[in-house]
Amino acid sequence: MDVVTLIWLYILGLVRWLLHEAPLQVINFIRSLPTLIPELLKWLWDFIWFNFKPLAQIIVIPGLAFILLFAMIAVWFERKFLARAMLRIGPYYCGKRSGWLQVIADFLKLFFKEFVIPDDVEKALFLAAPVLLPTIPALAITLIPFDSNWVLFDAGGLSLPVFLAIAGLAPVIPIFAGWAANNKYTIIGSFRTAYLYVSGEIPLVICAAASALLAGSLDLVDIVEAQKPIWFAIPQFIGFLVFFVGLILEAERTPFDVPTAETELVMGWRTEFSGVLFGFTMMAEYVSFLGWTLLFIVLYLGGYLGPSLFGVPLYDHIFWMLLKLAVIVVIVVLIRTVYPRLRLDQTLRLGWNYLMPLALLNLFITIILKWGLMI
Amino acid sequence: MTEPEVKPEVMRISWGPQHPMSGQTRILIDVDGEVVRRIIADIGFTHRGIEKILEKRTFIQGIVPIERMVMADTANIALGYVQAVEEALGIEVPERAKWIRSLICEMGRINSHLYAFGLQVECTGYFPAVFLWTTVDREVLLDLFEKLTGARWSYSFFIPGGVRADLPEGFRDEVKRAVKYLRRRFQDYWDAMVENPLFEMRNRGVGILSREDAIRLGATGPVLRGSGVDMDVRRDEPYAAYGDLDFKVITEKEGDCFARLKVRFHEIEQSLNIMEQIADEIPGGPVRTKVPLFPRSKPGVEALSRVETARGELGVHIFTDGGLKPYRVKINSPTLRNMYVFERLAELDKVLVADLPVILYSIDPWYLDCDR
Repeated sequence: MDVVTLIWLYILGLVRWLLHEAPLQVINFIRSLPTLIPELLKWLWDFIWFNFKPLAQIIVIPGLAFILLFAMIAVWFERKFLARAMLRIGPYYCGKRSGWLQVIADFLKLFFKEFVIPDDVEKALFLAAPVLLPTIPALAITLIPFDSNWVLFDAGGLSLPVFLAIAGLAPVIPIFAGWAANNKYTIIGSFRTAYLYVSGEIPLVICAAASALLAGSLDLVDIVEAQKPIWFAIPQFIGFLVFFVGLILEAERTPFDVPTAETELVMGWRTEFSGVLFGFTMMAEYVSFLGWTLLFIVLYLGGYLGPSLFGVPLYDHIFWMLLKLAVIVVIVVLIRTVYPRLRLDQTLRLGWNYLMPLALLNLFITIILKWGLMI
Repeated sequence: MTEPEVKPEVMRISWGPQHPMSGQTRILIDVDGEVVRRIIADIGFTHRGIEKILEKRTFIQGIVPIERMVMADTANIALGYVQAVEEALGIEVPERAKWIRSLICEMGRINSHLYAFGLQVECTGYFPAVFLWTTVDREVLLDLFEKLTGARWSYSFFIPGGVRADLPEGFRDEVKRAVKYLRRRFQDYWDAMVENPLFEMRNRGVGILSREDAIRLGATGPVLRGSGVDMDVRRDEPYAAYGDLDFKVITEKEGDCFARLKVRFHEIEQSLNIMEQIADEIPGGPVRTKVPLFPRSKPGVEALSRVETARGELGVHIFTDGGLKPYRVKINSPTLRNMYVFERLAELDKVLVADLPVILYSIDPWYLDCDR
């Protein structure tokens, strides 16, 4: 048989199937629907039921949505609060009087702006830095326990050192970014960053070590669980204070915003970034602030543990974590309204002469405490 | 300006005009790491030729351009010029006009000092809270200016022979109310900012100018008094009504940025006292003598007037040639002298990059005043 005949036969078969078989099939399908739909829904329900929590954990908390939402709310709150302190009203027109849409509008504006890449920059590094900046603290956030079995990344019982290692990478990026931008202000700013982080991070690590020692574990979940009798903020009061100052220092918030001192260095190592690149660097500030604050809550304020009444802990829930986060954000923003910026040398003196010995003293007290408990 | 050569061990940074805190000037700094080795101010960057403009205007027309020298402090600047014109033309001023002049000058001084205080505080890294506080609080003064002169900023209120208008109805009570309000606000500033330990850390011991250097380099105004030199034209050579008023000249010994800030702060308090005194004791009488619209000068007269503006001593020197216009007006402006001190501070004291804006705004620069 030749090809034309075959095609004709195929078409005839198709027509016959359409006339005789297809209606029957459709009728059968429609008849089986009442049994099929519940099965389909059941399968979908089971899928969501079994996968909802991991999905929520990845997408919502502590995922990208949480970080973006935190950055937005923090920026909005900061703008409104500072405006009050300055006898202004703050964002007013976007999103009614509260101005909540202003942050989104600003983000869209930054996103669609042209970004300028100056001549003589180290292009790859210059473009990579703003992307890496928020990524590294965001990575560290995956290690934070939001509930006893709500940890996104299981570091095998070593989540505290892994957190510190990942977060310790962050200051390298501003240094490279400032150098890559090939500008005098950015170079001064990036070297200030280097000095600042060295003086700030070592006391933080020592304080975190003291907490781990008291809990007897390097796992953040165990550290939280060990705070069931009493939050570590009380037995380690010195460490609590040092860590709080150090966290503001690490996040480059106001008394220590030395590397991006606007009145001195234009915008520090951020000077040459524009458009969406600048938006990313600003977001990085909030992400890093979020990461260190969450660690602070986990180490000293009992993480997801509720306040305990007469030794009986209240319902432990992620809600407590978010509440503690909100309180610390308010305190840190309040600090911005009432304090000027310290000079670089004063910041370093604070780090090496006060934070460092106090952190060591805290470690020493913890060792004695732990020794006493063991006996 | 020709730029001096850059030494190999330093990095030269153009600090301004595109810098958030520089204002409309250009300052070159040679930095070695964080230490500023040399400051070169580009004096003349905003030159507008006000002295030459004044030669092309009649005596009374000249009041408007000279007020543009310092917009925050127009009263004191205009008074310097008007007094020189009065001396050159031989015009007498009634007593009440002198008191009104003093009142407006003190209000202008507070306005200018508020601006300087806010900027110096902002330089230390406060999110511009205090700057906006001062901006809001000076509204009280601007409203008073508006009520009295009809304008909020450059009011051209002083004319040879007196002032343009008498005080409106109930003005003295409003002055007293404003003084009361400002006193309360300044107490807030003092508690929140000046007694803040971190703020003191940023300002104390920064940009120290010793008494000898201040005299040698010709500093003036709060910079000079902040270094412990007791000098104020208002007291030393009384003009307007200052001879009859009771006020103290504020000095501080330290000579650092904090001392200059405190001098300004206490000067505001003294100015408030003066305002109250004037509101209580102002004499009656006419507020202007009749002066022709285009007064003609005698040939070959020289007149010099010195006034204490908010930034320091202003000298206006007028030469006449018998025409309707001055032959030459020479203005010795306070910011020019203080900018010279600012340039030398990098040699006298260790200046860090972080201290540079604080020092610059502690001398209260007004670049248009500096370059005229």
